[in-house]
Amino acid sequence: MGKQRSMLVVIVGLAIAAIITIVQLPTQLGLDLRGGSQLTLQVLTNEQITQISERELEAVQRVIENRVNGLGVSEAIVQSSGQDQLLIQLPGVSDPGQAQRVLGGTAQLEFRAQKPGTEGELRAISDIVNQQEVQQASILAVGNNNISDEDLAELEKVTTDLQASRETLLELFEDTELGGDKLRDALASPLGTGQSWQVSIYFNNEGGALFTEMTRNIAGTGRVLGIFLDERLISAPTVDVQYAATGIPGNSATISGSFNADAARDLEIQLRGGALPVPVEVIENRTVGATLGRDSIQRSLYAGIAGLALVLIFMAVYYRLPGILADVALVVYALLTWAAYNILGVTMTLPGIAGFILSIGMAVDANVLIFERTREELRAGKTLYRSVESGFYRAFSSILDSNVTTIIACAALFWFGAGLVKGFALTLAVGVAVSLFTAFTCTRNLLFFVISFPQFRKIGYFAPSLAADLPSTSQPSQS
Amino acid sequence: MKLNVVKQRGIWWLISGLLIAVSIAAMALSWSQFNGPVRPGLDFIGGTRLQIERDCSEAAACENPIEITDIREILDGQGLEGSSLQLVGNSGQGIAIRTRTLDVDEQTNLRSALTETLGQVDPTASKIDVVGPTLGKQLLIAGLLSLLVAFAGITVYLSLRFKFDYALLALLALMHDVVITLGIFSILGLVLGYEADSLFIVALLTIVGFSVNDTVVIYDRIRENFKLMPDQGVDKIVNEAVNQTLGRSINTTMTTVLPLLAIVFFGGDTLKFFALALIIGFLAGAYSSIFIASTLLAWWRSGSNSNTDMSTPVPE
Repeated sequence: MGKQRSMLVVIVGLAIAAIITIVQLPTQLGLDLRGGSQLTLQVLTNEQITQISERELEAVQRVIENRVNGLGVSEAIVQSSGQDQLLIQLPGVSDPGQAQRVLGGTAQLEFRAQKPGTEGELRAISDIVNQQEVQQASILAVGNNNISDEDLAELEKVTTDLQASRETLLELFEDTELGGDKLRDALASPLGTGQSWQVSIYFNNEGGALFTEMTRNIAGTGRVLGIFLDERLISAPTVDVQYAATGIPGNSATISGSFNADAARDLEIQLRGGALPVPVEVIENRTVGATLGRDSIQRSLYAGIAGLALVLIFMAVYYRLPGILADVALVVYALLTWAAYNILGVTMTLPGIAGFILSIGMAVDANVLIFERTREELRAGKTLYRSVESGFYRAFSSILDSNVTTIIACAALFWFGAGLVKGFALTLAVGVAVSLFTAFTCTRNLLFFVISFPQFRKIGYFAPSLAADLPSTSQPSQS
Repeated sequence: MKLNVVKQRGIWWLISGLLIAVSIAAMALSWSQFNGPVRPGLDFIGGTRLQIERDCSEAAACENPIEITDIREILDGQGLEGSSLQLVGNSGQGIAIRTRTLDVDEQTNLRSALTETLGQVDPTASKIDVVGPTLGKQLLIAGLLSLLVAFAGITVYLSLRFKFDYALLALLALMHDVVITLGIFSILGLVLGYEADSLFIVALLTIVGFSVNDTVVIYDRIRENFKLMPDQGVDKIVNEAVNQTLGRSINTTMTTVLPLLAIVFFGGDTLKFFALALIIGFLAGAYSSIFIASTLLAWWRSGSNSNTDMSTPVPE
């Protein structure tokens, strides 16, 4: 009995911890609930690139990240999915037209020479761009949950201004024919033994000739070579005076400067992304307005509460005392599972909520199996204590089997399913795991604790139909 | 009340046989019309679904309901004849349009044409789903693959826990549940225009994972009874097991169906049919566990007539 009491203290402690977790750690809501746009981009192959490898996908992903940053959306996520797809989440975007237009299409990489006489302007406008980028990043860092309306207005303004500044910057450079299609590859490598790195670029013959010509014109003048990816300056090296007569020959060059390993690698990937002539296409777009999302949450909340209430009533009416204890365990179950979602960082989607509600119904199944078995043992004439004990013991294998089969189905869903489906599989699987715990610790200890009090040891509380047949005995507890 | 399931198995097999026949007929009809056993939705064949709602913050904007004919005219004007249209939202102030897959410009054109006719729309109450045809095929294949893997996984697990023939018969009962759910939803597709989305495949998988539970409970009991009463006939043992577990089978299904009913009544449109599919599958699962899986096992074991190896050892 002492053991039960201490276990109950542990369970109460867990329940309190779960409530604190739920309050402190917000549930992560999927875009279908908080509103936003989710896009799937397909990286297409063409004659030159017939297969998309990890290397290509990484480069394209970097290009897309640049474009997503340009949209100025808070908490945007770009991740690869499968071998040749990218998944993009844009919270709060309700008209995905602009995003779709910006994100689709082939990357535009260009090498442009700076126009003569624009040195001062370039410095000034570069400073402004940098400053605006920092400003944008700092607002985005606030996160969607804390962002205020003023911040949002500010963000929109900065994003527009930044776009304008970038356009001004672009005008300081001459038009060019040297595009990404003439770049073969880019490679970052350490420079000597020190901490600094360099990025080597390799052109094809046509590109090499154009590059030589361009570098000859600006070598030693202090003007820079602007490397633009999607009309955004990603690097602006100068060309050493020694090439003033010849230009940089040999179809290749190295960019060095204040690169550390990360910066060099980043430039390499961006250059490679620009060199790839692979087009990307938006093949899926699911956008939900914030109001509709809120509506879904509310309806699901009603459904969840109604579902829980129905199960609670059913258990109490049908199974009496143990049913009420199972209800307590079920509430603990719901709290623990919710807290587990928040701790594990499960993103709650609409199907995920359905999985949670369904798991409430499934969690109580273990109790049904145990109580039915207990009644059977009572009917066979065993004492109350023994019946409860063997109810738990003998129902165990059935409970385990049935939960394992559900987990198998969840695993199949999780491996093959797309985003939405995964949410359902995850919430259901977490629910099933937690329910095993609550059935065998929570209900069990509660039940043994309660029957340690003689006034609760009435057969009628456990199996009303039996109470009529058998004399109401309160057998001595054997604990 | 005591059921003699084995004796009455003719009735149960007939009921299931009829249900399966009707289901297969419905699926065949559905196949001839929509190229799928259930009418495939956006997720599987691609297309665009746009839902917008009027901004009713100024009451005057929402005085009149939306005229379907006006919207139809816009669609015709943009070469989108044959798209489906549906009024949604409170008092018909919203509209859902389902068309072929539209590219960005077509989407923008459609939106602006609609805004012109409807007046101010509320961007936070709009919803758009665009699925390319290739992605639809991917989703379908992934779904079917996971269904197969789940079937295989469950068969392997049950073969390990029981015996291979138990597993096979349980699988048969599962297919029964899946076919009946498919059949009812293909009828819903034919009659009410229901379109299956990826959640429908999720529902089928969940049915597979959950419906086998009741079968497992009964088989577990049959195995136990073989050990306890080795000299009894198969029929008696199976009957006994079904009756002993009947309360459990009914109540576990009840407790699971109750919250799903709550979703059907209170949940949004997306989840309604999902919950309904689960309810149908779970009910079919309870039925097949009690009446089909058990009688099949009795029939199979008495047919093979090898009473000696029936007392499968219970792994401890």
